[in-house]
Amino acid sequence: VSALELAERVLQAADGDEALALVQTERSGMARFAGSEVHQPTLIENEVVELQVARDGRVGIASGNRTDDEGLRELASRAREAADSAPANDDFPGLTPPSTPPAVDAFDEQAASLGPDDQARLAAAAIDASDLDLYGFFTSGVTGIAVAATTGLSVSQELTDVAVLTLAAVEGASGYAEQTGWRAADVDPAGAAREAVDKAGRTRGAAELEPGSYAAVLEAPAFAELLAYFSYDAFGALGVIEERSYSFDKLGRQVFDERFSLADDALDPRGLPKAFDFEGEPKQRVRLVEEGVLTGVVWDRASAKRAGDGHKTTGHAPPSSIRHWGPLPFALSVAGGEADSPEQLAEAVGDGIYVTRLHYLSVVDPREGIVTGMTRDGTFRIRGGKVADPLVNLRFTVSVPQLLAEMPGLTREPVLVNQNAYYDERYPTGLLSPAIATARFDVTGTGSTPGI
Amino acid sequence: VAAALGAGASYADARVVVRRSQVVGSRNGRVERLDDHETEGIGVRVLVGGAWGFACDRRLDEGGAEAAASKAVAFAQAAPGGHSRELAALEPARGEFRTLVERDPFSVSVAEKVELCLRAEQALANADVKVTSASVRAQHEHKVFVSSEGASVEQELVECGGGIDALAARDGVTQIRSYPSAHGGSSAQAGWEYVEGLGLEREAPRVGEQAAALLRADPCPSGVTTIVIDAEQMELQVHESVGHPTELDRVYGTEAAYAGTSFLKPGDLGSLRYGSEHMNITADSTTPGGLGTFAFDDEGVPASREPVVREGILSGFLTSRETAARIGSGAGGSMRADSWSRMPLVRMTNLHLEPGEGSLEELIAGVDEGLFLQTNKSWSIDDKRLNFQFGTQVAWEIRGGTLGRMLRDATYTGQTPVFWGSLDGVAGAEEWRLHGLTNCGKGQPGQHAHVSHGTSPARFRNVQVGFKS
Repeated sequence: VSALELAERVLQAADGDEALALVQTERSGMARFAGSEVHQPTLIENEVVELQVARDGRVGIASGNRTDDEGLRELASRAREAADSAPANDDFPGLTPPSTPPAVDAFDEQAASLGPDDQARLAAAAIDASDLDLYGFFTSGVTGIAVAATTGLSVSQELTDVAVLTLAAVEGASGYAEQTGWRAADVDPAGAAREAVDKAGRTRGAAELEPGSYAAVLEAPAFAELLAYFSYDAFGALGVIEERSYSFDKLGRQVFDERFSLADDALDPRGLPKAFDFEGEPKQRVRLVEEGVLTGVVWDRASAKRAGDGHKTTGHAPPSSIRHWGPLPFALSVAGGEADSPEQLAEAVGDGIYVTRLHYLSVVDPREGIVTGMTRDGTFRIRGGKVADPLVNLRFTVSVPQLLAEMPGLTREPVLVNQNAYYDERYPTGLLSPAIATARFDVTGTGSTPGI
Repeated sequence: VAAALGAGASYADARVVVRRSQVVGSRNGRVERLDDHETEGIGVRVLVGGAWGFACDRRLDEGGAEAAASKAVAFAQAAPGGHSRELAALEPARGEFRTLVERDPFSVSVAEKVELCLRAEQALANADVKVTSASVRAQHEHKVFVSSEGASVEQELVECGGGIDALAARDGVTQIRSYPSAHGGSSAQAGWEYVEGLGLEREAPRVGEQAAALLRADPCPSGVTTIVIDAEQMELQVHESVGHPTELDRVYGTEAAYAGTSFLKPGDLGSLRYGSEHMNITADSTTPGGLGTFAFDDEGVPASREPVVREGILSGFLTSRETAARIGSGAGGSMRADSWSRMPLVRMTNLHLEPGEGSLEELIAGVDEGLFLQTNKSWSIDDKRLNFQFGTQVAWEIRGGTLGRMLRDATYTGQTPVFWGSLDGVAGAEEWRLHGLTNCGKGQPGQHAHVSHGTSPARFRNVQVGFKS
């Protein structure tokens, strides 16, 4: 049974109510390794059905993974009880009308055919390519998403995703590399492992650094993580409506370096393409920043209805379990610059620090865009335009807008950085990011040394 | 289990989990969440030639069980590496456990939950408060564990919780206050009586007023000073800087790629000075009301109360049967899985800072100049759990042993053993509170754990507040 057929069965269980059904299916395997052996291999198969029932503007949602007739009847009963208990909501935008989603290609037969033996073999390819202890995972999965509604909406998509994460680490040294994509051929586990080993070899003997403001080069994984934390708050419409986000009073203003342009583009084949959001609305490319000018935020049906004034959804409704956060940009894409490599950015910086990866970020002040976190697995001093001696892991507390306000350069080709930590139902997300140079990266402390 | 053994496993266990979770939430006077989620399935974990395998199936019938078992064995057989594992010896677990509940949260109508949220929200109202929100949650989990060693355990766990937030904004400044804690409130393993006891509506006017007052408060200055941390923020301090570093799988490096490792080494047990003599930390999976309370963990080890730090000395790790055998100490007891579709990992159960003596007022009275910090706002700690930085929603100046003006945007930072070494007072049992959080992330694929921490307010000397640069 396809995800769409299951969604239609869920709708039938609604028994005459206005309703919208969402189905997510997953078949995945993850060969997680530590100390160069697979220690936590996990195979998952699941189908989750969600039913939203609307009765005169009163809305209730129920979900579950029992898909026999009795399970679906019981699901509908819980959704109806929730709807009957809710007061009418003036902001309810109604159920999604029928539409034709854009054509996207995000399914790779080879990736879909990878089974447990292949996942173990590809993990082994990474492990065998490393002469240091290797930590990380190889994973692949097939995700089905379908949305159907009593309005006549009926959309579905099948996605594949493949990812490898490698951390080469011993006492006092560690290096990191990752690759992700929707085609099996997008990922080279051995190549990622070799990159991690090379990076690790340069981190031995890490020194401390005085807190202060430094010029910096952030490799794509580091910049992507920082940008994601900033953007989930800054570029969603709800934060603007509620006057709590950085973007609230800055739309239309030049606030960043003119080299910086940012979009949310789930249709880009270089990313992990999606045709529609969790309400079934077609995905749109949204220009968020154009040459430093803050030009837009992303919308879902509820935020657009609430804001009025001609706003429409851009296809950015997240799963219902986090819809109270408002619409979210899950497919950020940063325009590339002129530099051929991160090393060339280091030449532009001259004197500063070089950051491979970040750890445990937290938003200190969403209105100001202040984020704190740590660097890890490859932090270096830049001296004389060269990536030089290794540094211990650094505590940073940065104003992201200030970091983006003066950017001496970006690398030409963005790379896809995995944004999925595989909690709950699998939903592949990634961020297309180049490496960047910034004139200001505020170091506020030092932490542990690299390595295990 | 029989299918896994038949396919070649030397050890197998299986967990059947049926869980229902419900969240009701309102925001600015409108119901924004009415989620009711059920999930069920079976997870089978096997050892084949010393290698772990895990697979799951949502079908609760023989076909689903056998499919999960055979896939788990096949994945273990394919796993690369030189595998060698032993599990700490264990009497086969047999028994049942059910949360003591006065009022089943699923017998409370959704309408009553909606009403509670809307009333609490109304009471948050204030001219400068732009966003009010309230939420309550409930969960019922029924699980059965059996193993090839003869274990057979059935447990039914019930959780409830709730919280309120007020977000104020004016002239480019935004501030938030929450109760009973940030990030979704607080939860306990209990019936609906826990939510009723929180007094969300009663506390709301104060929360709304403080959010608005923070807009006019001065920013917290930077410097090195004495801080008194309220019990609720101490929950997160214990969680991040003691709980995670003492997870023995992190110490052995098996979480290195994601959550990180630990500054602790296996040989530190019994000798490392973690903090001052006032620091006493206990892992206790028997605590009434704790989110980490059970009769047996997810590999059948019975619940227990164990010291982790005694008078400042590292006295125990949080362990699994595998890591306990490896270090040669203990028998595990901290293995927990997010659901039927995830392998159990070493997780905190209930981890407490033992109370000291005296009241919060007495702690504050011992400060000539410093800060009293309440309610988490931001949190971050490095991959070895050494360098941390926390922000709090509100700070109060302390001068001459008494509380003074309100301050906003407070942060404090430190290195874990140095910070705990500066602990010079913990308030007594009358100030000790149990806090439950539901968003502890770990593992790949990711898993959420629900854990509780009992803490009293505590005082630390010579702490960096604000940003050094």
